[in-house]
Amino acid sequence: MRRDFLKTCAAAGLGVAVPFRPSAAREKAKDEPYPGPYYVVFNASGGWDTTYLMDPKGVNGINRLYKDGDILTKGAHRYAPIKKHAAGGMPNEDFYAEFGGELLTFNGLDYSVNNHSPGARYMATGKLDSLAYPTFAALVAACRGPDCPLAFLTFGNYSATGNLVAMSRVPYLPSLRNIANADAVGGSERSPYHDGFALDRIEEALRDANAARAADPRLPRAERGENMLYAAQANSKALQRVTQHIPAQVPKERLAQQAEIALASFKAGVCVSANLSIGQFDSHANNDPDQMRLIPEFLAGIAYLVRRAGELKIREQLVVVVQSEMGRTPNYNAGNGKDHWSIGSALFLGRGIKGDRVVGATDEKQFAVPLDPKTLKLDKDKGVRVRPEHVHEALREFAGIADHPLSKKFPLGVPEKERLRGFWG
Amino acid sequence: MPSLPRLLLALAAGTGLAATARGDGPPAPVGCAASVDHSFEDEVWAKVGARSCLTCHRKGGDAEDSKFVLQDPRKAEGAARDAAMRHNRDAFAKMAAAKEKDQARILLKVVGGLDHGGSEVLKADSVEYRTLAAFVRRVNSPTGAAPLPAADPKAVPFFDGVVMVDDRQLLRRVTLSLAGRLPTATESAAVAKDGVKALPAVLDALMTEDAFYERLREAFNDIFLTLGVDGNPDQNVLSYDHFPTRQWYAKFDLSHIKDEAERRKAGYKLAADYRRALLEEPMRLVEYVVRAGRPFTEVVTADYVMLSPYTARGYGVFDEVKGRFKNPDDPFEYIPVKIKALVGRNKADNQDSATGFYPHAGLLGTFQYLARYPTTETNRNRLRARMYYQHFLGVDVLELAARVSDAAAATAKHPVPTMQAAECVVCHRTLDPVAGLFQDYWRFAEKGVYGKRKGGWFTDMFPAGFEGEDLPAAERWRALPWLGERTAKDPRFAVAMVEHAWYVLTGRKVLLPPKDADDPLYPAKVRAHREQRREVEAVAARFAKGGFDLKAVFKDLVASPFYRADGLATAVKDPCRRAELDDLGLVRMLSPEQLERKVGAVFGEKWGRLNGQLAMLYGGIDSQEVTERAADPSGAMGAIQRILSNDVACKHVARDFARPAAERRLFPGVEPSVVPGASEASDKAIRAAIVHLHERVLGRHDKPDSPEVDRTFKLFAGVVGDAKGRKGVEAKEAYACRQGGAVADDPHYTIRAWRAVVTYLLRRPEFLYE
Repeated sequence: MRRDFLKTCAAAGLGVAVPFRPSAAREKAKDEPYPGPYYVVFNASGGWDTTYLMDPKGVNGINRLYKDGDILTKGAHRYAPIKKHAAGGMPNEDFYAEFGGELLTFNGLDYSVNNHSPGARYMATGKLDSLAYPTFAALVAACRGPDCPLAFLTFGNYSATGNLVAMSRVPYLPSLRNIANADAVGGSERSPYHDGFALDRIEEALRDANAARAADPRLPRAERGENMLYAAQANSKALQRVTQHIPAQVPKERLAQQAEIALASFKAGVCVSANLSIGQFDSHANNDPDQMRLIPEFLAGIAYLVRRAGELKIREQLVVVVQSEMGRTPNYNAGNGKDHWSIGSALFLGRGIKGDRVVGATDEKQFAVPLDPKTLKLDKDKGVRVRPEHVHEALREFAGIADHPLSKKFPLGVPEKERLRGFWG
Repeated sequence: MPSLPRLLLALAAGTGLAATARGDGPPAPVGCAASVDHSFEDEVWAKVGARSCLTCHRKGGDAEDSKFVLQDPRKAEGAARDAAMRHNRDAFAKMAAAKEKDQARILLKVVGGLDHGGSEVLKADSVEYRTLAAFVRRVNSPTGAAPLPAADPKAVPFFDGVVMVDDRQLLRRVTLSLAGRLPTATESAAVAKDGVKALPAVLDALMTEDAFYERLREAFNDIFLTLGVDGNPDQNVLSYDHFPTRQWYAKFDLSHIKDEAERRKAGYKLAADYRRALLEEPMRLVEYVVRAGRPFTEVVTADYVMLSPYTARGYGVFDEVKGRFKNPDDPFEYIPVKIKALVGRNKADNQDSATGFYPHAGLLGTFQYLARYPTTETNRNRLRARMYYQHFLGVDVLELAARVSDAAAATAKHPVPTMQAAECVVCHRTLDPVAGLFQDYWRFAEKGVYGKRKGGWFTDMFPAGFEGEDLPAAERWRALPWLGERTAKDPRFAVAMVEHAWYVLTGRKVLLPPKDADDPLYPAKVRAHREQRREVEAVAARFAKGGFDLKAVFKDLVASPFYRADGLATAVKDPCRRAELDDLGLVRMLSPEQLERKVGAVFGEKWGRLNGQLAMLYGGIDSQEVTERAADPSGAMGAIQRILSNDVACKHVARDFARPAAERRLFPGVEPSVVPGASEASDKAIRAAIVHLHERVLGRHDKPDSPEVDRTFKLFAGVVGDAKGRKGVEAKEAYACRQGGAVADDPHYTIRAWRAVVTYLLRRPEFLYE
């Protein structure tokens, strides 16, 4: 019945479910856990210094911690040597040694703006001039697992949903344990509030009431709200599956804490996507110490997620996007900081992504070099400046949701001739 | 549909340019009496002018010296607004008539030609460009061009087919929303007698209640977020340099408490109350202004701050003001106080003041507001300026941030891009002067708020001022009051405050103008925005005219069809009409705080668990990291709703039956001994009890034989019947649900069946939504 209801909602375009069966995706059968892929978007909030990570520059005074000849390589990757300067976390050297083979780097991304708020919005949604667009994580959750109780998890950063799916904020993992068994006193299965037959009657009455409401003429907003409410309550029972995956020990590191919540939810099949985020990258003063503290912390968080996914045997279903809303200037200001720069990079790894590859580039002054979208080769004269909408269009295609009706509601406007071909390898 | 000649005549009269374009003589005088041409407003202005031209081509803008200077209609109201729109239409028409060789200059300019200072602002293949080109054709060849698309003359009135909430439900909606309680019998009787006409008086009385001010503070904190000052407020709000008494609580004499543990506990509470009281000061100012019926402009002009006995000690003025408190021991009693100009530990930290007093400016000058939106050496108060625009003028400056062809190149090309690169100047010419007004509040994290920058303010920024007016040197010591005075006079202030009140009532922001001209639903979205905008601006105009009484805004908005819209007479399938109605209807998921209050109102006692982490999980905010409330329920929230419904029903059903019938909230007319199907009378009593529950819990007014009551009856009877047919069913209510003097015996399973009914009702949208 619940499935029927969701289909009814979908037919009405209510943001609860839409009948869509992407050929590339495995869809879960009735009431089974969502099997993946699981999408994780890591965000370095504040604007990272890409020259200390995947786009090293040893010239023109762009940075002070290494020279051109110090730049390291791992396969196709060139990366900044930071081991000597890293304050904790995981330095590039270790990160690339472990993940370089599966890492896709895009350099020379044109964020187009220099401010945090529009930059974060643009990077998260692929649309600069609208507040209505969903983030990629929300969109893929709405397309792939609208009936997952925690379909879209977020821990910060821009998290608009386009009214397609509810956003879930779970600040503390054990709090999920407290709500997992909602129909029992104190969550104890031995003490149900209602006898089973009474609970069944309650659910039946709610179902009938919802069906009756659906037959009434309603304002569109009421349709959406009531359907999402019903789905939230009905789907919440699946949260019981999460408890067994909540680890006894909660890690201390902030990204690892977020990762554990996301992983437990993925493993339980109740979640499609998660925004993981840490801030303080906005290093207007003392750029180098800040970035040397934060980049390793960030990489350690990514590594933690991927390793733990391996332990939980879901690593092969993981898709990881690593981004920030802006880069940092190719020069230092008077306070040894770096200001906002509209050129940057992104990293990708996981299921279906061919690693050990670098696409795009910046020049010696850290300007973006246009590229030919068909060949992905640099083409200063005839190439296109790759902006967030190009990356998002590629992400939608990669996730098999580019033609989903919900995606179509939020077109990115990338001309066919500008679409990145073969981006994922 | 208006005839083509009529449309053309209107345009010609409005522009005064058609004749020129045809070369028939000098321009006709601008038709002042002409009505505003909505086709221009909805098309050329909405798609091109407001979005791509106005930021530079206006007084104070980067292109103010050009021949194409527009006016911002948002800065005017009523007739002045219409005049601004006519001015813009004339300006566009004049530009459309100007030629460069055979081509219209305006069309060359917008794609970056003719050395356009703003470079390319429209793509030649964009809808916006085509809109402008159609306008140019129309101006230059009025007899041959197709008319601009006007509003669909066949369009139904905006609220056609929309069903308004009935008066009783509206009353309940209002009392629950603004005072967290059910209507009183007197209020219900007044509305039953006089309908919505009774509401203003009901609201006048309601807006004297403490609960209203609790809600007001909570909702305005959602907007200003001043509770979210980072760190310890007695250190971050009150600076070490100026407030040596800020940690008074550490030396407060608690020796009368003999038990050491108790004394320590009292000390902790003292500090916690003090810190909370400090954080609450700004929203207490909002409360004071509204409660006292003072002009709401005081949120930017008040020459006082609100202090409590505890915070007055922190400021070091307790002895001066203690006589004014009703209870000098109440940490949360607030009074308005003018504080003296700040005196530092070092002379350099002394505050300039021509009057000897701190230059208060409502919320703007409070330490909490300034600490909540701090600055850094490189941010240079721009965050504060941005928040000022957003909070007090309703302008999201960063929304202006336009895509540029190569922002990095523009940044690198100019020594001071924020003053020289057109792409940057667009925002910074507006933002930086206001940032300069905050220049004397130049202390960074945990170093206080007030203090001048060594070496003076930055010279590589536009100088301090507001919207083209420079701050006079003599006013610098009171730069924020200077700003506040101008803010209060700006028509955008009234609109922004109405938008805040709209948020308080609906839980969401007003619609933004649609931007995607390619969207097939664009006209419908334009209409939805325009209708809502018209309402907001009309309320704002009355607000300003009436002396900025915020209570009047609430009364106005409650009476508005936007607030009362509740359903549809018939189903709407047409996508355009659905898009028009998309945002209509309150349908607001209650916040954790609102839900607790509603449980309290219906059951006489709050649930008490929707706080801390559970509140965050239920979409609440912490005013720091999490600043936007969840609008839709996730599965986690669905689980919490189930827990709440189970638990609240568990606590209250059997307890209610234990009370004398006349004192019961839930079951005044039925006893546990009444079983379904026993007799006609018993079924009637059960249906009457359901009608009562529907009204109390859901606010529904159902008839005993309605399908809704049938459904609930079926649930009740079904549970009782199921229990009867099962072996091993206990004759007592569940252990957890018979606490607090509840009825324990339940031989007919009716108490548990009623509990199932209440659980069911608590999970319904009518309870969980507003």
